[in-house]
Amino acid sequence: MTPIDIPFTRLLRVETRKLFDTRSGLILAVSAIGLALVAVVARGLTSEPRWFTLAGTAAIPLGTLLPVLAILTVTGEWRHRTALTTFVLEPRRGRVLAAKCLPPLAVTVAGCVFALLAALPMTAVAAAVHGVEATWTVAPAKVLGWIATMVLVTGQGLGMGLALLNAPAAIVICLASTALWSTVARLGDMGAILAGWLDLNLTTNPLMNGGLTGDAALRLTVSVFVWIVVPVAAGILRISRKEIG
Amino acid sequence: MIEFHCVSKAYKGVKALDEVSFTVEAGSVTGFLGPNGAGKSTALRILTGLSRPTSGSATVFGRPYAELACPGRRVGTLLDAGALHPGRSGREVLTLGAMMLGLPRSRVEESQELVGLTGKEGRRAVGGYSLGMRQRLGIAHALLGRPEALILDEPANGLDPQGIQWMRGLLRSLADSGCAVLLSSHLLHEVEQVADQIVMIGRGRVLARGTVAEFARDGGLERTFLELTAQADRSAA
Repeated sequence: MTPIDIPFTRLLRVETRKLFDTRSGLILAVSAIGLALVAVVARGLTSEPRWFTLAGTAAIPLGTLLPVLAILTVTGEWRHRTALTTFVLEPRRGRVLAAKCLPPLAVTVAGCVFALLAALPMTAVAAAVHGVEATWTVAPAKVLGWIATMVLVTGQGLGMGLALLNAPAAIVICLASTALWSTVARLGDMGAILAGWLDLNLTTNPLMNGGLTGDAALRLTVSVFVWIVVPVAAGILRISRKEIG
Repeated sequence: MIEFHCVSKAYKGVKALDEVSFTVEAGSVTGFLGPNGAGKSTALRILTGLSRPTSGSATVFGRPYAELACPGRRVGTLLDAGALHPGRSGREVLTLGAMMLGLPRSRVEESQELVGLTGKEGRRAVGGYSLGMRQRLGIAHALLGRPEALILDEPANGLDPQGIQWMRGLLRSLADSGCAVLLSSHLLHEVEQVADQIVMIGRGRVLARGTVAEFARDGGLERTFLELTAQADRSAA
């Protein structure tokens, strides 16, 4: 019997399993979901019962922990040198790396959907407790824009992880970028212009608000290119040519 | 079956491999013997497509390894028993391998049994494994796909005398059933016991080739090895 090529779906299943079969991966995923729930509940206790506001609070734990999960996924093979085994079983390294990128993005979408669902009963409970009317309506574009933004935040983790192949450095860049850009934005006109085009936190705002105009879309595209598309492509190219040993 | 054809590899002008050529036939064990730093691991990484030769070519079944369809099904490889995620269990490592190769889960138990890892040991995290256990796990991983060719880098390192004897028997029976086995080692005695053919390498060059019997006749394996490697060192210096 002649073996056939490894199908991509199989690589995807293997890489999804690797995401959760170590303690660090499992702790991160469970914490992200757990803290998302805590965030939704805490917001329900303290603010007006608006469904999307409650769900949106989950962005803080999800946006902090899921990029870290993404970084650990793409850098793990180097830290433990398991690349030696993985790329011997599938020498077409680009396929393996593509299979590594998709599960963290899917987990991000799942995390957002979970937050939206968890916010449903919490909104009803909060409305009953506070004795006020709950607000359920929200523009669908806002919900989709929010999920898309969260996916981009995780995508930045993939980009930094693949480009640097060094988990601590990638994590620092991802987590410090918000603070860093707010400083840059205050460094006069030039700083403000730079931040307006390159700060993912700023450029994703119109997407989150569901009002992505031509100019905003261009800014978003540029920043996504710089922080996600270019680093992911450069990382995959570099790893494909790298000597592994 | 496994063929090195004039393989050279230079790192920043320094030659790690210099026109290495040899063949491993089906049904035989070839010992790839050389002191530490001779270029054994470099050659095996080139053979498995992890590294590219500067010139020459290495093939398995007549083709570069990376061009084989699902190469792990036909070629079993163990390059470094230490390259494992410490948080995964031995069983999980084998399960991931079996999944990747599209093998039934029953192969996980079979391979584990074949190398003598108990069920309890298999459930433990590999971070707590001894080097000998890691070698057994790595060999189990290499054997998952019932390969026709086997590439092992220093598999005897860390094995106790019983383990070494077990491995000798295993490699012999695999070769007798038609497998082409290439194993590297710096342990003369180990290679002498199991190999049919020996390729001696030093400073990136093939110093001598022949059957174990030929080496024994021409002054003994150890003496030849020490003389040739000393010569190679002198000419490099």
